[in-house]
Amino acid sequence: MTKETRAILIDITKCIGCQQCSAACKTAHNQPGDPEPTLAAAAFTAVEPRGEKFVRRMCLHCEDPACASVCPVGGIKKTAQGAVRYDGSKCIGCRYCMIACPYSVPKYQWTKLAPYVTKCDMCAEKVLGGGQPACVEACPTGASTFGTREALLLEARKRIVENPGVYVNRIYGENELGGTSVLYISDVAFEKLGFIEPPAQQPLPTLSAAALAEVPTVVAIGGSVLAGLYWITERRKQVALVEAAQREPKERS
Amino acid sequence: MPNIKSFLTPWRIITGLIFTAGAVATYMRFVLGWHAATNLSDGQPWGIWVGVSTLCGVGLSAGGFAIAAAVYLLGMERYRPISRAAVVIAFLGYTTVCAGYAWELGLPWNFWHPIFMWNRASVLFEVVWCIMLYTTVLALEFSPALIEKLPWQKMRQTLLTWQHRVLIGLVLIGVLLSSLHQSFLGGLFIIFKGKVYPLWYSQYQTTQFYLSALPAGLAMVIIAMYLSMRSLNAKLDPKLLGELSRVITPLLVIFGLFRFVDLLRQHAGEYLFMARPETFYFWLEIALFIVVPLVLFNMKRVNATPIGLYWASAVTVMGFIAHRVNVSITSLERATGTHYVPKWSELAVTIMLISAAVIAFRLAVLHLKIFPRTEARNAWLVNEAAAAD
Repeated sequence: MTKETRAILIDITKCIGCQQCSAACKTAHNQPGDPEPTLAAAAFTAVEPRGEKFVRRMCLHCEDPACASVCPVGGIKKTAQGAVRYDGSKCIGCRYCMIACPYSVPKYQWTKLAPYVTKCDMCAEKVLGGGQPACVEACPTGASTFGTREALLLEARKRIVENPGVYVNRIYGENELGGTSVLYISDVAFEKLGFIEPPAQQPLPTLSAAALAEVPTVVAIGGSVLAGLYWITERRKQVALVEAAQREPKERS
Repeated sequence: MPNIKSFLTPWRIITGLIFTAGAVATYMRFVLGWHAATNLSDGQPWGIWVGVSTLCGVGLSAGGFAIAAAVYLLGMERYRPISRAAVVIAFLGYTTVCAGYAWELGLPWNFWHPIFMWNRASVLFEVVWCIMLYTTVLALEFSPALIEKLPWQKMRQTLLTWQHRVLIGLVLIGVLLSSLHQSFLGGLFIIFKGKVYPLWYSQYQTTQFYLSALPAGLAMVIIAMYLSMRSLNAKLDPKLLGELSRVITPLLVIFGLFRFVDLLRQHAGEYLFMARPETFYFWLEIALFIVVPLVLFNMKRVNATPIGLYWASAVTVMGFIAHRVNVSITSLERATGTHYVPKWSELAVTIMLISAAVIAFRLAVLHLKIFPRTEARNAWLVNEAAAAD
């Protein structure tokens, strides 16, 4: 994480479910149709009603994303500015990223004959040009704000402290699975709003990394053992040959 | 004159139906699209083309490296008569897996991307590379069967000499590559922590996949040997089947112990008897893959006859498939809230690919030196040719 890592802070207490964000997102990404109830191949953000609350779903732009780690062709990358971006020109369509994402964010264009994975790119081009993501720009209540991750963490902490008894004392995304670049604060417990409890203390890619780290050991030890076994086998054959040759004259006599 | 009735044997009719269905399914997949051809969805993006075609195709080919290691590295000469067959089975298995990606990948024309676009952090990247390299190794291990057919004696000699020189190296590399990717197929699921049902999650899924592939791969060799002896007049000592099966028992015990100790270690014990569909699928897997095979392989009445060993092996393979389907499909359904049942067209493609591999194996046994064969089949062929005149 660098200083300029950008992030989005979503304050669930301020969201009124007006759908401006999802509409703006669709316009920004040239996707047809009305806002959709859940994330879909052509809906990178969706506002889900949860009881009396509205929860805006989108890619959380993990600091150490599982999707990027599993992609066999390196088609998904965490950029220095914070966004986790998908490069369709590399994609082979294995769909490993879709299952690996702990938040089940990436979707697939099942209806197309040349389908790509789709997900939020935090309006990376716009942000590079100095702008804000379309969803944040469209938010009329300030439920979504954009800035550096560092500043937004401070802001979130400030809101929690300055409004005692309002917020749950947790910034979802601060540390979850290594942290994310989309942060949530809420006045209702996160598990009641459909947020997953992180299945691990550390970022998920560290789990595969631990398994992959065994490769050199397996190759070195396995190779030596196999070569050793082969040597023993050959040696036995030679000994057997020599012994047979020694036995032969005796048997003749 | 050959008449239509003698041409249309039941097996030929079934094969024809399989390939017709496969062709229709292929049309649906490539022309009508994913929704028409599959029941895959955002919740269940991997179906049986991954769970069966890839995971089982690779696993059931494990006999190739196991037998090659036994014969060439451990000097177990008694298995030499079947070493070539084991390599052919593995080679065809891997070729089928690779061919299957034409259907499975969303953008199959980009299949070559992993060769140039690397991501060393991806378990799938390692698997893809190992499979590419190992398929090449298998082709080289299998090459003498083809080289022998060359009409030019000198070239034949030179090539065979070269092949012989590198053979041990090939076998050794093959064992290493196999050990890596057989394990890493299980490693694919480690990062799904939190999504995988506890009965199938393990940080040692790598070890589990390796330990399960060995008995299943050997069972597959027994099946292929039995069928070759019965239908293709392979001249093999039936005792070999029994010897192989005696290796399967300890392998299954080791896998079973590892599986249960691992479950208890991860505190998944409470899930063993919950009233949930997963529990049923779990015990079905355990019964088919561990309990029933262990009983059958150790029953005198079963293990004394080739047909008994054949059926015991068939159950083992079924159980193995149940295990892999559970790991890749059943285990994810609760977390993703999706219920996936393959569409007929998904099954049709998988069955077509398996049939193609079986036909290729049959042709290899008939036309190349894979097994020593008796004359009976030749005599039968002569009779048929005479009848045709």
